[in-house]
Amino acid sequence: MRDDGRRARIMAAVTEHDTTAGVGELVQRLCRFAVDEMALSGCAVVLMSGAESASVLAGAGRHARTVTGLQMELGEGPCLQAHASGIPVLLPDLSAGNANRWPAFAAAALAVGVHAEFSLPLTVGPGGIGTFDLCRDRPGMLSDEHLADALVAADIARDAVLYQPYTPGGSGLPELLATVGTDRTVIHQATGMIAAQLDDTVANAQARLRAAAYASGRSMYDLAHDVVERRVRFDE
Amino acid sequence: MSETGAGRHVPPRDSGHGGRGDDVTREAVLARAFVRLADTLASDFDIVDFLHGLAEDSVEILRAAAAGVMLVDAHGGLRLIASSDERMRLLELFELQGAQGPCLDAFSSGRAVQANAADGRVRWPVFAPQASGAGFQVMCAVPLRVRTDVIGALNLFRGSDEPFTGTEMEIAQAMAEMAAIGLIQERALRERNLLAGQLQAALNSRVIIEQAKGMIAEYLTMTVDEAFKLLRSYARYNNRKLSEVASDVVHRRIPSAALGRPRGQQS
Repeated sequence: MRDDGRRARIMAAVTEHDTTAGVGELVQRLCRFAVDEMALSGCAVVLMSGAESASVLAGAGRHARTVTGLQMELGEGPCLQAHASGIPVLLPDLSAGNANRWPAFAAAALAVGVHAEFSLPLTVGPGGIGTFDLCRDRPGMLSDEHLADALVAADIARDAVLYQPYTPGGSGLPELLATVGTDRTVIHQATGMIAAQLDDTVANAQARLRAAAYASGRSMYDLAHDVVERRVRFDE
Repeated sequence: MSETGAGRHVPPRDSGHGGRGDDVTREAVLARAFVRLADTLASDFDIVDFLHGLAEDSVEILRAAAAGVMLVDAHGGLRLIASSDERMRLLELFELQGAQGPCLDAFSSGRAVQANAADGRVRWPVFAPQASGAGFQVMCAVPLRVRTDVIGALNLFRGSDEPFTGTEMEIAQAMAEMAAIGLIQERALRERNLLAGQLQAALNSRVIIEQAKGMIAEYLTMTVDEAFKLLRSYARYNNRKLSEVASDVVHRRIPSAALGRPRGQQS
């Protein structure tokens, strides 16, 4: 198959004769490869089972974590859509009409200088484990060649995560997950506290937290800190 | 396959009898069997049904009296999975018990084997008389093989003393290889889905544990670190998974107050 050559070429570029690299290192190099090869301003491998659990496993470029961060703040965006649908979401121009599906996201992304966003799902059978996200600080579609490379890079990232080679030092799934996404823990803790204050579900509590942050122009993270430090309550 | 003739007339899919004689019928049956052998990725795939299908198809296509399929288990031993009839099942169990016979040879060598009753008595002195006694004169077996991986073997027996031809052995080997490819693909897909499910569960449980910590901290007026200690000791004391207890707390199946009681083993 033609794609075998593509996969071999990308693997050679990211392994750099070093086959002992762990999964974290490998996906990091994949992001770096994509940023350099495709002139991106950001690239990330994001693991998620739903919007709340999205965790950036690796990223490169100055916008590496920007897009994921915005989507978690806003609860909407193309990566969540790509993950949920299993279909790539390609937005070559966030100021164009088709980005209006996510009005809050598109406006926020443009405000921080992201003009194009491409989100490829890491599919496994009928489901998926996250997304491979690429963004640029200028509008424009990925070339066919770059899109084909990106799709293969997404497959490599997925396989690296699913089939991490066992190493005695322990780089298994728990160790891998322990290192990612911990910056969101305060938001989940605050969500639990708000649910208790309102005697409501955690889903509704999280929506309240997100809405309050959006309305006040603060980040969810900052507001969540205030909740956990008991400077802000939601039942008053 | 033969052409269906000029024009737009399309015969129904199940019409195996093209009126061109036995060869066309056998080709059509063979083609349908290969389609079945490739169909392993359906959500309701059942390995026992699949291998019974292989045994029955090979009996029909290769004019055998009986067929059986053995697969290697996790410990490297063969297990009988499917037989075309009860007589065959007993015989194959006997083959496994006596540790000799065509299936075992095909499995260990990775090559097709065939023997008539006389050859069989030399090669498998314990097994061959049993096979003859059950009415089988010609015994053959082909490995379920994908490249260098052998995952089992297909046994084919005939009641007459007419040996399987070279072509028939080729067809048997091709069917066995197709089955092996299908099984390996199905196993890879199942493993992947399992791994993806574990990853998703791990991602979810991290979120839910933090939410439970927050909820307990609020209900019992303590820090989240203290809440985590309560949660962990409750899970240990009740011999349950942390993520399960956290889920019960978040969904109010366990009241947070219950975590702080003396039975929770807190100092």
